[in-house]
Amino acid sequence: MQELEALRREQQALGFGLSHDLHAPLRAIDSFAWQLERNATLDATARDHVQRVRAAAARMSRLLERLQLFVNAGVAPLQAQRVDVSLLAEWIGADLRDAAPTRAITLRIQPGLHATGDERLLRTLLVQLLDNACRFSEGDPRIEVEGEDAAAGMALRVRDHGIGFDTAAAGKLGQPFQRLHADDSCAGSGLGLAIATRIVARHGGTLHLESTPGAGTTVHLFLPERLPAEVA
Amino acid sequence: MTRAPVLLVEDNPDDVELTRLAFAEAGIEHPLVVARDGAQALDYLFARGAHADRDRDLLPALVLLDLNLPKLDGREVMRAIRAEPRTHALPVVALSSSAQPFDIDASFASGVDSYLQKPVDFARFIEDVRRLRARWLDDAT
Repeated sequence: MQELEALRREQQALGFGLSHDLHAPLRAIDSFAWQLERNATLDATARDHVQRVRAAAARMSRLLERLQLFVNAGVAPLQAQRVDVSLLAEWIGADLRDAAPTRAITLRIQPGLHATGDERLLRTLLVQLLDNACRFSEGDPRIEVEGEDAAAGMALRVRDHGIGFDTAAAGKLGQPFQRLHADDSCAGSGLGLAIATRIVARHGGTLHLESTPGAGTTVHLFLPERLPAEVA
Repeated sequence: MTRAPVLLVEDNPDDVELTRLAFAEAGIEHPLVVARDGAQALDYLFARGAHADRDRDLLPALVLLDLNLPKLDGREVMRAIRAEPRTHALPVVALSSSAQPFDIDASFASGVDSYLQKPVDFARFIEDVRRLRARWLDDAT
């Protein structure tokens, strides 16, 4: 138990470093590059290089934010409560629509879905799953959130009708930085599913994927009514 | 007109310079006073130590407080500010690199009035500073 606690403290320190110490130099890189970019004497090549520096800083920033979510998912103290999953999904859907106003996102959410867990982590979990469902859909995404509220817990499904993938190649998808799609297509950070998997494991639940290339993906979740003893 | 200063409590020299630049871009005319750690911030606010000869009734219009500071961290600075009748109502905005809900909640729990994430994107930081000006400084002298 002492080793587990020491490991948790290390992870918390890592999360702190990710959110503070590693962002500070990145902020300086982008901000001073921004000053350079405004320099009227820059030729086109130099301007292109400065813009690439800024784009790389922005990518790195997004990666750090998601890496911090991954770390937090493992160490943040859990506050178990009854969570309205349907309402959370509605809120996240509104955020996704705001973030992608040119796409008509159809999100059908079964009302009355509830789970026991940490509301902030469950929100993060749903953000990852719904964001992936949008990201890996071409055109206007259609997504369904449905499930069964049972005595032993909640079985939840997040289904999209997007590009799908070959499940035979998906063995490592719950691990950090595993991607099935090229960096320049719809690929994300390679952390979304790893974050989701970690949150579900933290709640003592299970997550598995069912997918058909070209037909879409369904994420099956089970979140137990009772959380594991160490976090309850 | 002499404007009350803004007290920036920040230990990272790059962030100090970027805040100066963002203030200039946002047209903020309040002078920026910089404290490099929590102890310096309290010395300034309470007119003691290196600031003992300062007029202690001249309070800043706003405090921008990085909560993770050497010597005396931002939470201890907040406790001291809120405990002192002369400064307890001073507007304080937390500055942090983090956008994580856990960090934001902890900042508000320490008693700050608002929270400003220091974004990597400098153009966004300028917009944030413009909003900060409208919210906290446009009506201040």
